[in-house]
Amino acid sequence: MSKLKLATVWLDGCSGCHMSLLDLDEGILAVAEKADLVYGPLVDATEFPEDVDVTLVEGAVSSQEDLKRVQMIRSRTRVLVALGDCAVTSNVPSMRNSIPVGRMLQRIYIEGVDTAPGVPSDGVPVLLAQARPLHDFVAVDAHLPGCPPPPAAILAVLSDLLAGKKPSAAAVKFG
Amino acid sequence: MPQKRSIRIDGELVQVARGETILDAARAAGRTIPTLCHFDGLRNSGACRLCIVEVSGSNRLLPACTTPAEDGMAVTTSSPKLTAYRRMTIELLLAERNHLCSVCVSNGHCELQALATSIGVTSVRFRYRYPALPVDQSHERYVLDHNRCVLCSRCVRVCAELEGAHVWDFMSRGIQLRVVSDLDQPWAEALACTNCGKCVQACPTGALVEKGRAVEEMAKRCSQVAQVAMKRGAPR
Amino acid sequence: MSRMEDISTFNAVREAGLAKLLPDVPRVTVGMGTCGRGNGAEGVYHALAEANDRAGGLLASVGCFGPCSEEPLVGVWIPGSPLVILRRVQQGDAERILADALDGRIPPDLAWCKVEEWDHLTAQIKYGHGYPELPSWHEVPFFAGQKKIVLRNCGFIDPEDIEEYVAVGGYQALYKVLIDNQPACVIEQIKAARLRGRGGAGFSTGIKWDYLAKATADAKYIICNADEGDPGAYMNRNEIESDPHSLLEGMIIGGFVMGASLGIIYVRAEYPVAVHRLTHAIEQAREYGLLGDNVLGRGFHFDIEMVEGAGAFVCGEETALIASLEGLAGRPRPRPPFPAQRGLWGRPTNINNVETWCNIAPIVVKGAGWFTQTGSAKSAGTKVFSLVGKVQNTGLVEMPLGTPIKTFVYDIGGGGAGGKSIKSVQTGGPSGGCIPQEMFDTPVDYETLAQLGSIMGSGGMVVMDEDNCMVDVARYFVEFTHSESCGKCVPCRVGLDQALDILNSFTEGTGSLAQLELLGELGRMVRDTSLCGLGQTAPNPVLTTMRHFRHEFEDHILGRRCNAGVCTQLALSPCENSCPLHMNVPRYLQLLKEGRMEDAFISVLLDNPLPASTGRVCQHPCEDRCRRQTVDEAVNMREVHRFIADSVLGSEQWGPVMDRIQARKLASTGQRIAITGAGPAGLTAAFYLALLGHDVTVFESRQEPGGMLRYALPEYRLPKAVLAREIEGIRCVGMRFECGKKVGADLGLDEIEGQFDAVFLSIGTWQEAAAPVAGAELKGVRAAVPFLETIARGEPVALGRRVAVIGGGNAAIDSARTAVRLGAETTVVYRRERKDMPAIAEETAEAEREGVRFLFLAAPHRIVGDPRGNVKGLEIMKTRLGEFDKSGRQKPVATGEITRFDCDSVILAVGESVDLEFGRLSGLGLSPSGTIVADRFTLETSRSNVFAGGDVVSGASNVTKAMAYGKRAARSMDRRLTGSDRFPALLEAFEYDQTPPPPAAGGPRRRGHERPVSVRVRGSEEVVEGLTTADAIEEAARCLRCDVRA
Repeated sequence: MSKLKLATVWLDGCSGCHMSLLDLDEGILAVAEKADLVYGPLVDATEFPEDVDVTLVEGAVSSQEDLKRVQMIRSRTRVLVALGDCAVTSNVPSMRNSIPVGRMLQRIYIEGVDTAPGVPSDGVPVLLAQARPLHDFVAVDAHLPGCPPPPAAILAVLSDLLAGKKPSAAAVKFG
Repeated sequence: MPQKRSIRIDGELVQVARGETILDAARAAGRTIPTLCHFDGLRNSGACRLCIVEVSGSNRLLPACTTPAEDGMAVTTSSPKLTAYRRMTIELLLAERNHLCSVCVSNGHCELQALATSIGVTSVRFRYRYPALPVDQSHERYVLDHNRCVLCSRCVRVCAELEGAHVWDFMSRGIQLRVVSDLDQPWAEALACTNCGKCVQACPTGALVEKGRAVEEMAKRCSQVAQVAMKRGAPR
Repeated sequence: MSRMEDISTFNAVREAGLAKLLPDVPRVTVGMGTCGRGNGAEGVYHALAEANDRAGGLLASVGCFGPCSEEPLVGVWIPGSPLVILRRVQQGDAERILADALDGRIPPDLAWCKVEEWDHLTAQIKYGHGYPELPSWHEVPFFAGQKKIVLRNCGFIDPEDIEEYVAVGGYQALYKVLIDNQPACVIEQIKAARLRGRGGAGFSTGIKWDYLAKATADAKYIICNADEGDPGAYMNRNEIESDPHSLLEGMIIGGFVMGASLGIIYVRAEYPVAVHRLTHAIEQAREYGLLGDNVLGRGFHFDIEMVEGAGAFVCGEETALIASLEGLAGRPRPRPPFPAQRGLWGRPTNINNVETWCNIAPIVVKGAGWFTQTGSAKSAGTKVFSLVGKVQNTGLVEMPLGTPIKTFVYDIGGGGAGGKSIKSVQTGGPSGGCIPQEMFDTPVDYETLAQLGSIMGSGGMVVMDEDNCMVDVARYFVEFTHSESCGKCVPCRVGLDQALDILNSFTEGTGSLAQLELLGELGRMVRDTSLCGLGQTAPNPVLTTMRHFRHEFEDHILGRRCNAGVCTQLALSPCENSCPLHMNVPRYLQLLKEGRMEDAFISVLLDNPLPASTGRVCQHPCEDRCRRQTVDEAVNMREVHRFIADSVLGSEQWGPVMDRIQARKLASTGQRIAITGAGPAGLTAAFYLALLGHDVTVFESRQEPGGMLRYALPEYRLPKAVLAREIEGIRCVGMRFECGKKVGADLGLDEIEGQFDAVFLSIGTWQEAAAPVAGAELKGVRAAVPFLETIARGEPVALGRRVAVIGGGNAAIDSARTAVRLGAETTVVYRRERKDMPAIAEETAEAEREGVRFLFLAAPHRIVGDPRGNVKGLEIMKTRLGEFDKSGRQKPVATGEITRFDCDSVILAVGESVDLEFGRLSGLGLSPSGTIVADRFTLETSRSNVFAGGDVVSGASNVTKAMAYGKRAARSMDRRLTGSDRFPALLEAFEYDQTPPPPAAGGPRRRGHERPVSVRVRGSEEVVEGLTTADAIEEAARCLRCDVRA
């Protein structure tokens, strides 16, 4: 049996969830036996492959670019997992949500700096009005909250998914 | 009228005293019914609806905290329907305000967070409202953060019923409902406040906290408030 | 003034009242409730008062008699004669009303009905007999079946005069109760009467009274809940405004039998007239010895206070109401303890609704047995409803409980206003549910309504018709309860907020089916877990509309359409929304106005591939919704696109324009599509599918394409040459026609399926419906469509001298007018009335001008033949209109009266249906009526890659609707074949002016020139010539540009 394809994605988050993933320690061996990591910040691939079995998404959807990416990723993924509070609840990125984007940028980049005030525009993705959880934009197959989710919980969910099972609702806390 | 009543909690026969509620009976039977607005020693308000149970013979779901245990009652404390409704209640609360556990001083010591975990809420199907809410830091020792408030009224009741100060109450209605001190004055200017801190200890979330606490540092001492209540013989 | 302390003082007051009620001069009364005042009753009263100063009659203001749509009402009583109710009285009528009254006459133009005697239940008043020409009140449909118990005095007595109340037997019940001094017996009587709380919950009043009577405490209270806050409900307001003493008497009796010392009336502050009259009534009651220390001299101490509410809907909930009375915020608390155990200020308390209290005195006087004669087994007595919304007659009606909904809507309400069909009734205010038209047989009582997911509530009854969007209705009511939620419990506070959010997403076109499911789950959770009645019932409008009108939710979610045109964010403009093809009407009008004929044509053609044909024969639903009607008349949109099409088709511009259309054609997909049936649906699908780059073959059983357009529409409506040019245009986009090949007979569906990637079935409905009349087999009896087809082929038909056409649809009118052109004397026989005809109204009017005779309310009974089997005449059964059917029209009922007339031919135009043989052979899923079943949105049939649309799916319909199926099928088939929605790529973006014109731009509506009748009946020329260029441009300028939004 060929190995499953596993991908990870990093949207608006702190990469803490990826750190937690790395913290699987020897648990990673069990994962590696079943799956190849084909895309993500931890590997070199530049293009998201066409048919991925499981994708773990860290981070909230905050910008137009994030939105395009999750839509593309959803269309190429069989099982999509929201990994960590930012992907599940939008968490810290959502702290800006009650402030209009224009006013926020004004406050930070113009009023908040002494030198060269100005809102950056080149090469910076356009922000959405609010940073929102993954499932507000695409169908999500499993949610794994936590900030970050504990390695054991990640391993449990991955093990279930790689065994072709629906992940059992682990007792994972938000935060 | 017999002083003791016999009721069945999930099939188990329990004896309770007159005036005790289904919640009391369930606890006596060692059953856990999730609660949020209930606080030992305070009058029940029946606001959070988490403690709803099924009672045979009633076509309605009844709140365990305010429904007196009647002789011969048969109560079911857990069912797929109850779990689904409780789960939805938690989801509604999480979506209502800005409950950011990861940066909350009560992280790890929060009743709402613990309920979400125990009921198995791993995501919220409703739109997060992300309201813009103020934080009252005027008091020298305490903070009121409306972003974390679940409107359980435990602070209101503990202040009115135990401390006798009635600093806290609600203003507005519906989704605009908000806790206020005195007549919507900054806390520091609430003349009735005795700085006793019972409200802070009674608060289930990070809405009322002590100043100077960092993330995860704020653990509430609910039992101390309950002891005061017991000593004063507070009403149910 | 005199205190009533014994029987003689009581009788004195009664005599004084009677002298005012039945004086020896004429008495003129004006209905001065809030509703009457709103319609100008105060002006009428003052005018009457001025006139009366000279005339010397007796003028009084009374309460409301119920029929709001007929206000202001004036009652005129001349001693010895019946009381006459005048309706819609204006100030200017005052002089002559009084002058006539003093002469013993009644103004006949204002008179509505008469009351010869009135049963106040506690007394009978005999006014007199006379006016045989006037109907008695209960013969007026609005009152038929009404039984006035609660409203027994409303509209007859002066609510500000206690003496008039006593004159009609008021306070007799109280006197009896005090004299008898048997409180327990009274409670037993109320129990036996099976009176149930009229505030909505329907709890037994007697049992509730018993609780309080048995409670022991230092003080007990009774409360009247008059905090009526439902939108559209005003029963309690009217009851207080018209008859406040009836409420007071009920409360004093209640106070005595339950042992309470104080009664409190919690009344809505937004009811100033009610507050004023109640205050006055309480003062009068004190003066007359009915309240205070020694009630009626019987030593009973009782008083009533009135408290004005603070405007919160939730204060109608009893525990919130009590909190509000105590000076706290109006938030409910959990029960138990119930108010009867611990209520106001911790004392045992009884709360009843105004209407419940008003029922007490009649029960005491007439007995429980009398009361239970009215109503249903579990719900005795009557209930007052405010019947509002889309019915002709609105107002307050009091009906026995258990009366079916249809009686309210059709008999009392008079059916839909403006002939629209009614789709639902919402009972019980914002927390009630919507009951669909199919369930109008439902009796209105507590249990049955609850089973349907609705509630009795306080008695609001809002009727909704086809112009109401049920999704918006649900959204509206949730918006109300959401803003009125006190916020205490989580499900109501946050759940309703989330429900509103989801509903908004539907009305804005951003919702999903997953959200619809979540909304259902949320609704059930809020219903089952909320603390008080507000939250427990708030989801009812959502849950019932989801249950009974799920298709409307699907239209919003899947189709992004609101057919009622209410959700404006889902439509460009009202015309676009109502057009089956969703033509961008404002755009082509504007392009024409800007003189851009080619652009206008392309705009039209890409929306509607047959603009010249539809420009002549469309039913133009766009005009029914046109906002210009609020200024003068609808924009003549149909004639403008006909003009645009006629101007370009066949002209020099045609070639270059078609080149531009061709240029929009997408690259070839290599997919082969078969279309069976080259009627409007098939041609439309072919046009778009060809543009989308597919290889299209159209099979047609007849010799030429066009379907009904070619073979059923007469030349005078749609010239064959015009149609041929349009089909030529469609054909040049690139498709193959195979005419003379009938699917099923010449060509099996399996065969086609094998050769093509997808199939669209659009074979139409050519089968004549079974003739419902005896003698249909005679020579000279024809079906309409074959008759029209024969004419269309240019073949001769011998009709004879006199022709009868049976039916009321377009085929009937087309047949009749064709028969006229063949020189026949023609009569159309239709079983309903003219207003009920499905045919286009203009066509009917023209037919009449051309000499067609119409017999309405006439159904064919038998076609009479001569011995050789030829038609000789037609026997006709006269009909009358009976009950309303699902279409909102009254069903014709045979009267038994048969007439006969001679004729030589009969044309049956009673409808067409699908060729059942084909349906059976195709193996496709079929409906009971034989139409092919296809998904509402994708038009997929039960066979994969076979799609169907047009009449074969909908049953016989019209050209534009059939084309709309073709358009939708093309989009859906393309999506299926290519996996993406490429349809929008076909459309062209035009830049055009986006400033709305001044409101009255363009002047009056322009019409095409009509050929004189004498000319047109001799040939088959078109009846209406197209607009001139100048007229068309000016007509286009009349558009108000609803598509432009700020």
